[in-house]
Amino acid sequence: MISVSHLTKRYGSRLAVDDLSFEVAKGEVVGFLGPNGAGKSTTLRILAGYIGATTGRVSIAGHDIANDSLEARRSVGYLPESVPLYPEMRVIEYLRFRAALKCVGRRKRAAYVEDAMHVANVVDVAHQRIEVLSKGYRQRVGLADALLAKPPIVILDEPTHGLDPNQVRDVRSLVRELGREHAVVISTHVLSEIDACATRVVLIHRGRLIAEGPTDAIRELHGSRPVEFTVRGGSALAASAVSSIFGVSRCDVDSACGSDLSTLRVTFAPAVTDVDRGCAVERCVAELVALGIGVRRVHEPGGSLEDAFAELTREGAHETRAQSDAGQASE
Amino acid sequence: MTAFWPIFKRELFAFFVTPVAWVLILVFLVLQGLHFYLLVDHFASQPFVVEDETPLSAFFGNTVLLYLVLFAVTPTLTMRAFAEERRSGTIETLLTAPVSSAALVLAKYAAALTTYVAMWLPTVLYLVILRRTGSLDPRSAASAYLGVLLVGGGYLSVGLCASAITKSQLVASGLTTLVLVSLFILGLGEFVVREGTTAHEICAYVSVWGHMNDFASGIVDSRRLVYYGTMIALPLYATTRIVDAWKWG
Repeated sequence: MISVSHLTKRYGSRLAVDDLSFEVAKGEVVGFLGPNGAGKSTTLRILAGYIGATTGRVSIAGHDIANDSLEARRSVGYLPESVPLYPEMRVIEYLRFRAALKCVGRRKRAAYVEDAMHVANVVDVAHQRIEVLSKGYRQRVGLADALLAKPPIVILDEPTHGLDPNQVRDVRSLVRELGREHAVVISTHVLSEIDACATRVVLIHRGRLIAEGPTDAIRELHGSRPVEFTVRGGSALAASAVSSIFGVSRCDVDSACGSDLSTLRVTFAPAVTDVDRGCAVERCVAELVALGIGVRRVHEPGGSLEDAFAELTREGAHETRAQSDAGQASE
Repeated sequence: MTAFWPIFKRELFAFFVTPVAWVLILVFLVLQGLHFYLLVDHFASQPFVVEDETPLSAFFGNTVLLYLVLFAVTPTLTMRAFAEERRSGTIETLLTAPVSSAALVLAKYAAALTTYVAMWLPTVLYLVILRRTGSLDPRSAASAYLGVLLVGGGYLSVGLCASAITKSQLVASGLTTLVLVSLFILGLGEFVVREGTTAHEICAYVSVWGHMNDFASGIVDSRRLVYYGTMIALPLYATTRIVDAWKWG
């Protein structure tokens, strides 16, 4: 449904999006992730046809966004990050206006507006002026607008921003539901949101694609993170004993100054499954205890998306820095 | 072009739902009413009637009040058009809907022009009054209103273009007034610059005062139609190009 190839956007000398390529198919919810200023909103704005790409190609439902912009835009429901609305209009007036703008036929218009208001849960404020609505309601009016014409592609830039926890839950389940029949792209800072509703993640940093894949795969990408054992006494013995256990690929020792406590960082081989990993951790503890070494704490930094995000964007930053250093050196 | 009607209707709605348009119309009509009263009073106190001068030709052609009002009214009608949409960000939702820039510009222009016509509409009552108390040439009246429509149309087109250039309504309004007053002053050169020179011809060609004098006397000159046609079409075309250019800004 969405195909992006070698997309680059330049603002003067600043590179906002750098050679980005990815695809979104029908029935997918793609979480667009990245720290502030990564180029998420810029990319989504290009997909929605609001700004033009410097180079590269974007195809929306088979229509090129540059050459066949009107048709491409007809297939997209877009919720911008700032949710701009006309404050002087009533919700229902606004949605009727948007429906007409999106070429919803006169006969279908009332039903479409009604449906969108139900889905976004704004029926109770239908006759209120937008200027008196709370942030949460405005956000939902924007969401109703994005879903109004029943487009095959839905692009939501931070859809739960400003919503209370109950509304966040509603929006997440709505996005999950949308994902069954639509191609959905959602950007957010709240990683648990991606965890809760995205089937795939596109992670970008400084305009470049860092990682892409099913949400589980991204999380597992960092499943081989080390498990930390805080032990008392015989750190060298402990390290050699742990290293010999099946599945362990590496063991680093970090001795704390002025105490007999030390930390063992045990890395497992990437092929080791979660179950084997758990068993290996148990065996490590048993072995250490059998050797008379005290085990104070076993800590497994969770393989959450949040960790993957932090680590990948940090790596991305290192990479970029390393590249710019190399560039300077060659100059 | 299917987007034309919804945008046109929304623009009119936005004009009339706020008190701004009503206040503008009120002030406009009070000023025009005063203007008309003074002229009629002046003509009534004349001992004898000059052939070519009628209250109608004086109202539309001979006094500066008409232009002063237009310089204040037209920038106010157009300054919001794009500047406000860009400042508030609603332009993003508008341009991500299947809307062509031509439909957007034309709809906004048509809405401003409709409001402008609505402002002038009550002044038709003056003609009714003139007709009841004396004679009135309907063709001159029609030509005078055509002049008002063309001059206003040109001014609104310039104003719309200015509104697309900047995000500030104040700057848009100031810029429009600057262009319109400059054109007016250039036109006044018709009465200052020596006749027979190129400069005089240029001044006469753009002189809105001269144009309105002709229209108010019932003269519809094709040169004027071409001039105002250009003054309407050129800024509108430039505006669509500016709207397209935002994509790359």
